[in-house]
Amino acid sequence: CANAQAGCHVLSLANLFDRVIQHSARTHGISNDLHYEFEQYFLPSKNHIARVSRNCHTSSILTPNGKENAQRMAREELTEVILKLLVAWRDPLWHFHQSMAHHHDFNNFSSNKALEMSDMVHELRKGVEKVAEKMQVLGIISNTVSSLASPEASLPSDSAEWRLMKDYDLLYCFRRDSNKVQNYLKILKCRIVPEHGC
Amino acid sequence: LFFTAHSTGNLHSPPGKPALTSCRSPEKETFTCWWKPGSDGGMPTSHALYYRKESSETVYECPDYHTAGENSCFFNKKDTSIWVNYNITVVATNALGRAFSDPVEIDVVYIVKPNPPEKVTVTVMEDKGWPFLRVSWEPPHKADTRSGWITLIYELRVKLEEDNDWEMHLAGQQKMFNIFSLRSGGKYLVEVRCKPDHGFWSEWSSTSYIKVPDYFHREKSAWIL
Repeated sequence: CANAQAGCHVLSLANLFDRVIQHSARTHGISNDLHYEFEQYFLPSKNHIARVSRNCHTSSILTPNGKENAQRMAREELTEVILKLLVAWRDPLWHFHQSMAHHHDFNNFSSNKALEMSDMVHELRKGVEKVAEKMQVLGIISNTVSSLASPEASLPSDSAEWRLMKDYDLLYCFRRDSNKVQNYLKILKCRIVPEHGC
Repeated sequence: LFFTAHSTGNLHSPPGKPALTSCRSPEKETFTCWWKPGSDGGMPTSHALYYRKESSETVYECPDYHTAGENSCFFNKKDTSIWVNYNITVVATNALGRAFSDPVEIDVVYIVKPNPPEKVTVTVMEDKGWPFLRVSWEPPHKADTRSGWITLIYELRVKLEEDNDWEMHLAGQQKMFNIFSLRSGGKYLVEVRCKPDHGFWSEWSSTSYIKVPDYFHREKSAWIL
């Protein structure tokens, strides 16, 4: 993209989007696998699952829970929601991996998956930041995405709540949040570069 | 005689336990749950579906018993949220009592089963004198794939009319697929289905039939000439 024509920018933005979407799909896939393993291992009776209390530490981050809500959100806001979710999972996933590594009931395979998941969220966040910066440079979104400037400041005030959560609940919540991230990224992509595989 | 009379009285009883059989969403925007009633206890018995959404204490009754047919409850866009668990129970009631189904907990994201792909067309194309089939289709019209809300992958199955086994081909997110190595003069059956990233395969589309021209004969006769 030597002469930096407009069309060329759009193409590379679409490309960046595809990469983070693929990455988020893989991240969610791992969380799905691990969640399934947990279910098999700890919760032989499905009824028990219904009784697990599920107050995710990210529940204070307001996320659209339907197509129309997601579409109505400004691009900046949706980008911000994605980044907030990813920032909020950095520490919990690291601790989750540590906890898995010390858990004798789990094999290396699961523990490695937990580590991979933790690394992937970190990379995914960097990827989404790149996409957001690119969108700002191209004037597609305004410079009001505060999570970009100071990611830590965007953490919800009760963000340490996750320390009280059980591993299973953490995994349950992450599986949901990683699915949200994947979906919001796709919505965002199809709003911004609809001609690229939407 | 006394006992007979007594057992006749026993024909009436509280309803049997109903069972929630499945909940499915065709497009991640609405969903339907179906149940199977238990015995009616020999009396008029009615069924009601109740649900409670995660982190709320309020219990709601099914918003629509009609749209999806008998023994079902339909949740329209307004009543459907995703990434939120629904705890659902069916209650059977007659004059003698009530029976509750086992509760079912669902998140709409994980119960998506799309309708089959639409407008499946198969045409015979030719590449350097060799025929191949070009199969193309559209996503089910209910699934809003263009907005990015739902992503579908596709699978095809193809067989010669006289064969028993289908040949499967995964097409990924493409809405077109070419099939090579065809039997000269063969009549082929083609069907397509689709699946969201985390959900269930749709039913197969209705069958498309196509006859491949007799290209070997043509070629042989060309040699003879």
